Amino acid sequence: MGRLHAEEMVLNMGPQHPSTHGVLRLKLRTDGEIVSHIEPVIGYLHRSFEKHAENLEYQMITPFTGRCDYLAAMGSEHGYAMAVEKMMAIELPERVEYLRVIFAELQRIASHLVAVGTFGLDVGAITPFIYCFRERELILDLFEMASGARLLYNYIWIGGLAHDVPPGFVEKTYEFLDAFDERVAEYNQILTGNKIFIERAADIGVMTPEVAINYGVTGPSLRASGVNIDIRRTEPYSIYDRFDFDVPLGQGLQGTIGDSWDRYYVRVLEMGESAKIIRQALDQLPVEGDVKSAIPRRIRPPKGEIYFRSENPRGELGYYIVSNGKNVPVRLKMRSPAFSNLSVINEIGQGWMISDVIAILGSLDIVLGEIDR
Amino acid sequence: MIQLLANWILSFDILSGMGNSVAWGLSLFIVAALIFAFVAVNAIVLVYIERKVSAFMQVRLGPMRVGKFGTLQTVADALKLLQKEDIIPRSADKVLFIIGPWVILVASVVTFAAIPFSDTWLAANMNIGLFYVVSISSIVVLGIVMAGWASNNKWSLYGAMRSAAQIISYEIPVGITLIAVVAVVGSLNLQTIIQEQAGTGNLFHWIPIPLPNWFIFHSPFLFIAAFVYLIGATAEINRTPFDIPESESELVAGFMTEFSGLRWALFFLSEYANATLVAFLVSIVFLGGWQSPFADYQGTQIGFSIITLVAIMWTLFVRAKTGRLSVYPLGLSLVITISAWLFPGFAIWMASPGIFWMLMKAGSIIFMLMWFRWTFPRLRVDQLMYVSWKVILPLSLINLMGVAIWMWLTGEIQF
Repeated sequence: MGRLHAEEMVLNMGPQHPSTHGVLRLKLRTDGEIVSHIEPVIGYLHRSFEKHAENLEYQMITPFTGRCDYLAAMGSEHGYAMAVEKMMAIELPERVEYLRVIFAELQRIASHLVAVGTFGLDVGAITPFIYCFRERELILDLFEMASGARLLYNYIWIGGLAHDVPPGFVEKTYEFLDAFDERVAEYNQILTGNKIFIERAADIGVMTPEVAINYGVTGPSLRASGVNIDIRRTEPYSIYDRFDFDVPLGQGLQGTIGDSWDRYYVRVLEMGESAKIIRQALDQLPVEGDVKSAIPRRIRPPKGEIYFRSENPRGELGYYIVSNGKNVPVRLKMRSPAFSNLSVINEIGQGWMISDVIAILGSLDIVLGEIDR
Repeated sequence: MIQLLANWILSFDILSGMGNSVAWGLSLFIVAALIFAFVAVNAIVLVYIERKVSAFMQVRLGPMRVGKFGTLQTVADALKLLQKEDIIPRSADKVLFIIGPWVILVASVVTFAAIPFSDTWLAANMNIGLFYVVSISSIVVLGIVMAGWASNNKWSLYGAMRSAAQIISYEIPVGITLIAVVAVVGSLNLQTIIQEQAGTGNLFHWIPIPLPNWFIFHSPFLFIAAFVYLIGATAEINRTPFDIPESESELVAGFMTEFSGLRWALFFLSEYANATLVAFLVSIVFLGGWQSPFADYQGTQIGFSIITLVAIMWTLFVRAKTGRLSVYPLGLSLVITISAWLFPGFAIWMASPGIFWMLMKAGSIIFMLMWFRWTFPRLRVDQLMYVSWKVILPLSLINLMGVAIWMWLTGEIQF
C-alpha cells in the first residue's frame, strides 16, 4: 500500500449559510478543520445602486442609500445628504443638525446591537442575540415615531428632514437611554465576561494596526486594533465637535490588541458613547426651528466633484459625487466600509479553524447590502 | 416487570390457556411498546418545555397559538414532520442514508430497557445494567457517522467526523467516572446502585450535616465526579456548550443537514431520548434514583422548611442585587411546606420512594441541560478535545483513585 492520498478540500460556505450575514460566499481551502485560504465571493446582492444613481435626481437617491447598509439606513442617508449639501453650500437650521445627530447615533446603537448579538450567535450563544434585539426594537419604535418606517426611513433629506419629530419623542428617547445603560451591563454579564466566549473570541483573528491600515479597514474594527481614527473626532462633520465623547480603542483586555474580542468589545463601549452623545444632543436640542426651511426647491449642485466621508457604524462611509450642474449626478461612487473590512478576512483568517473563521467574520460585522451595493 | 406482566396476563381465566411462553412474548412486546411510547411522548413534552424555558430566558412568550399556551404546538410540529416529502439526495448513499437515523433511534431507545423508573417499574433487571446502558448508548456514534457520510455533503461529513471524535473522547472520562461509583457499590446493577443509596447519613461520612445517603454526598471525590459526569455526558449527547457536531452557525446542521421530514424527526427524537437518559443516569448513579430525599414524614416537613428558608434568602438576595422580585421559587416552596405541615398524608407520600422522585430528579437535570443550552456559547472543536483529554480525563482518574483511598480511610473496604 502506498501513502494515504490526502489533499486540501475546498469548502463552499454560502451564499446560503446561517452565519455569513447575508448572501456572502466564502471559498475555503481546508485541511481538516484548519482553513488555509479564504476567498470571499461577492455580488449576490448586487442591485446596481451606483448605476441607478446616475439616472435618478438627487433627492430620489436618498431612499436608495438606505438600502445599501440596511442596518444603518439613517447613517447612509445622513452621509449622502451632507455630501450634496456641501456641494450646494446649504446652511442647515440648528434643530435639523441636532436631530440628525440623534438619529445617526441611535442608528449606531441599533446597528452595534445587531453586530454584538449576531457575534454571540456566531459563537453559539443565542440568548444575548434576543436581548440585543429587545433593545433594538425600542430604537426602531423611536424611528417609527419619527419617520413611519422601521428599517428604511427616507427621513434625512437633502437640506433638512422629511418632517419634524412628533411630540413625546424627546421624552421617549430619554426613557430609552435611562433603561439602556442597565441593559448593556446585562450583555456584559451574559456574554462579554463569559469564559467560553472569551476562549472563543480572545486572541482569535488578530489584526495588527499595519494590516488594518493596509487593507483600508475602518470603523470599530480599525479602532479595535488600537488606531485612533474616528471621523467624528479627527475630521468633525455636522456638529460632532460640540459633543464630549470618548473614542473606545482596543486594549487587548483578554488577549492581544486587535483580536475578535476587542472588535466585539469596542462596539459594546461605542454604544455607551453614542448614548452619551444622544443625551447631550437632547439636552441642547433647540425647541424652535423649521426642519424643512433649508430644503432647496431645485437640487442642482454646481459643476464639480466632491468626496465626503462620515463615520457610519461600520466605518468610513464615503460618497464621491461628480456633478455637471444638472439635476442628475454624472457619477456617484460609494466607498462602503464593509467592503474594505471584508477584504482583510483572508489575511487574518488564514490558519484558523472553520469555527474561528466564522467568529472572525462575525467580529468584522459586515452587511452584504453595502458590500454588493 | 416482563415476568410480572406475564403472570398478570395469565391470571385471567380466558387468557390462561395461552401458555407461559406466549404470555411472556406478549408482555415483551407490551413493555417494548410502553418504552417507545415513553420516549416519544417524553420528546414531545420536552420539546415544548424547552421552547417555553428558552422563551422565558429570552424574555419571549414561546409557542402560544396551538392549544392553550401552545401546548399542542409540538404535536402539530410532529404531525407536520410526518407529512413532509421524503427527500433522499440523488448522490446520497441510499442504504446508509435510510438506516442511519434508525440506528441512532434504536440505540437511544433500547437503553431505556435497563433504566429503573421505580422499585418495580423496570423492563430488564440486568446485573450489568450500567455497562449495558453505557455500551449501547455509544452505538449512536455509528448512526451519526453513517448519516453524515451517506449524505454526501461536506458539512454533514464535518459534523459526523466531529461527532465521532467527540463522543469517543468523552466516553472514556464518563466511563471512568461511573466506575468510581461502581467501586463503591461493587455492582453494575442499576437497581442495586439505587438501593445502596437508601436512608440518611452525614455529609461526606464525617461532617455532621444530615443528608440523604446519595452518592453525590458520599465523598468529596464522588461530589466532583457527579459534575464531571454531567459535563462529560452533556458533551456525549451533543448539547450546548458541546453541540459542535451540529453547530448551527458553523456547520448549518452538521450531520442532519440533508435530512428532512420523518428522518429528521428521528434525530430529534433520539436527541431528547439521549438527554433524558443522561438525566436518568445522573439521578440513578448520584442522586439516589427513585429514593426519596426524606427519611420519614417529619423529615419531609423539616426538609421543606429548610428549602423555604433558602428560598426566602434567595429571593431577598435577588431583590437586593437586581431589584426584581422573583416569586415563583418562594411561592412553590411555601405551598409545599405548608401542605406538608398541614397534611401528614401528603408528607408521608413525599417521603415514600417512587417514580415521582425519579422524574423530579431527572427533570431537574434536564432543566439544567436546557439552562446550559440557552446561556452558554459553544466551545471550539480543539477546546472541546482539550477539556476532554487534559481536564476531565485526569480529573476522573484522580477521582477513581481518591474514592478508593476514601473508602479505605472510612473503613468501607479493608485490604
